[in-house]
Amino acid sequence: MTRLAYGSVILIGIAAAGLGGYGVAGGAGTLRLTWLVPLGGIELTLDPLGGLFLALIGLAVVPASVYALGYPDGDTGRFAYFVFVASMCVVPLAANTMTFLIAWELMSLASYFLVLRDRESRESIRAAWVYAVMTHAGLACLLAGMLLLGADVGSPRFADWRAAASALAPTTRDAAFVLLALGFAGKAGVIPLHVWLPLAHPAAPSHVSALMSGVMIKLGIYGLLRVSLDWLGVGPPWWGAALLIAGAASSVIGVLYALVEHDLKRLLAFHSIENIGIILLGIGSAALYRVAGLDALALLGLIAALYHTVNHAAFKALLFLGAGAVVHATGTRNMEAMGGLIKRMPWTAACFLIGSAAIAALPPLNGFVSEWLTFLALFQNMRLESVGQNLVFTLGIASLALTGGLAMACFVKAFGITFLALPRSDAAAGAHEASPPMRLAMLALAAACVALGLGPTLVVPVFGAVAAAVLRTAPQATGGDWLTLRVSGEFASLSTAAIAVVLAASFLVPLAALRLVGASRRTRGYETWGCGRIVQTARMEYTATAFANPFKRVFDFFYRPTKRLDIEFHPESRFFVERIEYENPTRSIFDDWLYRPALDLLHAGARAVGALQSGSANQYLAYILVALLLMLVLA
Amino acid sequence: MTTASNLLAFLGLVVTLLIVWRQSWPARLRLFAAQSLLLAALASTVGVLAQRRGLVLVAAVVIVVKGLVIPRVLARIGSGAPVRPIAPGRSSGITLLVAGGLVVAAYVIMLPVTSSVELPTEGAIPLAFAMALIGLALCVTGRDALGHILGFLVFENGIFGLAILATYGLPGIVEAGVFLDVLVIVLIMEAVVVQVRREHDSIDVDRLRELRG
Repeated sequence: MTRLAYGSVILIGIAAAGLGGYGVAGGAGTLRLTWLVPLGGIELTLDPLGGLFLALIGLAVVPASVYALGYPDGDTGRFAYFVFVASMCVVPLAANTMTFLIAWELMSLASYFLVLRDRESRESIRAAWVYAVMTHAGLACLLAGMLLLGADVGSPRFADWRAAASALAPTTRDAAFVLLALGFAGKAGVIPLHVWLPLAHPAAPSHVSALMSGVMIKLGIYGLLRVSLDWLGVGPPWWGAALLIAGAASSVIGVLYALVEHDLKRLLAFHSIENIGIILLGIGSAALYRVAGLDALALLGLIAALYHTVNHAAFKALLFLGAGAVVHATGTRNMEAMGGLIKRMPWTAACFLIGSAAIAALPPLNGFVSEWLTFLALFQNMRLESVGQNLVFTLGIASLALTGGLAMACFVKAFGITFLALPRSDAAAGAHEASPPMRLAMLALAAACVALGLGPTLVVPVFGAVAAAVLRTAPQATGGDWLTLRVSGEFASLSTAAIAVVLAASFLVPLAALRLVGASRRTRGYETWGCGRIVQTARMEYTATAFANPFKRVFDFFYRPTKRLDIEFHPESRFFVERIEYENPTRSIFDDWLYRPALDLLHAGARAVGALQSGSANQYLAYILVALLLMLVLA
Repeated sequence: MTTASNLLAFLGLVVTLLIVWRQSWPARLRLFAAQSLLLAALASTVGVLAQRRGLVLVAAVVIVVKGLVIPRVLARIGSGAPVRPIAPGRSSGITLLVAGGLVVAAYVIMLPVTSSVELPTEGAIPLAFAMALIGLALCVTGRDALGHILGFLVFENGIFGLAILATYGLPGIVEAGVFLDVLVIVLIMEAVVVQVRREHDSIDVDRLRELRG
């Protein structure tokens, strides 16, 4: 039964990838079932942008489902998983409000049940609850925005919105943009609507978190692309600026939270927020360039965004699958209890390392290429006239640079503490390698990361064609030959293949040279130097807390860390210490200053309204009478 | 026709005010029956004068259902209750004042209607509407379940009068449906009231507060 479920999901994935590829290649098609539901019925349309996201879903679903076949408790939530994947496939194809919202809500509900896998644990109940609240607040925004647009245009079909966009009143268009962008940003996990992400991703099983982080939040990006560049036409500059600023904030804040996180899956969840921010930087720059009439640069920005979307799906799915293997092997998500796993799980470690290098944007892997393209799109802001917009771009550049550095540090920690050194717990010492299907899935995704990194000259024209279809311009933003990618004429060029060759050579040439000069090839194995101490234990190792501490100090205005120090002295003398426990948890700005006051306000409001509910039948009847009179008098 | 409909609607309103004023249950019940008979008279008058035979039939049904059957059921429901549910010292003065206010409100609300239509019955429309509003107010001030039922029935009578005066009656199928509804509601309420009385030894509405979650 489990095999049948995941097998059919794999088939759906392959079909989606094929259909999506057909759409990316320029194929189009429409399917209408008007009798099925009211308000326009079911309508599906394949276009290049939808095709790209459909293909992305398909390509991510296949390894995630293969992984699930080997996942120990993969047989819980099979049905929800099936619905989740199927509804995700419909979202990028939906061509009217009804179809879109049905698929969107099904996707949210199915993922809600997947998050709520463990119905006993308080943590996952809370995660699912926060997720449900946030996703439905987003749905409310989407519904309001879509109904507003639909009423104004007079049609629930997206194609009609596109045609009527330029004739809409500016206030309507702005209102629709704000509502729809808020709804989609909530799903994408843009700061400050991100609160559900670090709760929901760890609570779900790993193949589901891989899909949620790799694909589902990308559908939020898909929506943002549609809203900012497609459905509403060319908007005012502040739309692009808002997206850019949101992207800058999300990238930096996401990575800052990830740095101090010691729960492996939560760390990855925060990195999803960061990468969504990077994608938004590309989208925002595209929107701003498009308003200014710089079509080639808009194309570049959009290509960067799409490229990073695909890349993030590849390496984040890989990292979540790797984290799932680690969590299953050690029974904990806490990095402080791991260590030394590279010897026990070499395959997983290698794949995780590739994913880490890719997400930290190290050449020649895929993360590097798309972040490089994003940088180039941002750097060319000097062609814009407005000083304000230039300042926004500068903010984007600065935050992207900071993000890159911090992400690097974060994955040094994530990989180093998890896989290197000695095991910090018995569970880590007894860890075992993942099952073959899980390894296969991770290897496939690692290969995708490498391929996307080495082959930008092949991939970029594809994204270029999709981006040109979205922006409705000629598909020409980048050039170059099969080896080198050339951007904006002579502005910049990159050849990851050459970099890969140089990197490989710098590693291999010294080895070959040593061999040539006849150096001794005897390897000596010995213990690590322990500062002269005789016994080496895991307690002497560097910890994740220690690694994050300098960052906590530098950014303490942001983290607002609290310190807790428990010292147990020796009963005989206070000069000797039995046990020290040190903790410095951080406090979330968004919980304390945004959500807590908002929730308090909501509770106070609910209490105030609760006075209406007195329990007296006479009072209820009086409400009816008063309402009737008011309506009749005012009408 | 104007004089006749005005007079009958006026008498209906007077009876409604008397229902508000009186507190003894059998008296209110008799007043309700009287009100129903007045409405039946109104319906047949309008039916004869406007040459709508259907209305005469409707009047006959009103006499049977609201003049005979429902009062009898209500009497059965109220047989175990004290004659005067209101505690000593509480008069119906304020309720009467509210009812007077509602009559004024009915005139104000119906002003756009009466000034735009050219019916011979237009003068009586606010009177019927005032009956409906006072019926709702009876519901609001009702001290026990019987008061609520009576208020609802008066409200329904007001609406019925309004329909006769403003449109010379509703389509037959709607009228029949409404009568059936009213009858069924009264029967259901009888069952509920009997049940509540058995549980709580009282049908005082204040006791319902205990049900709040």
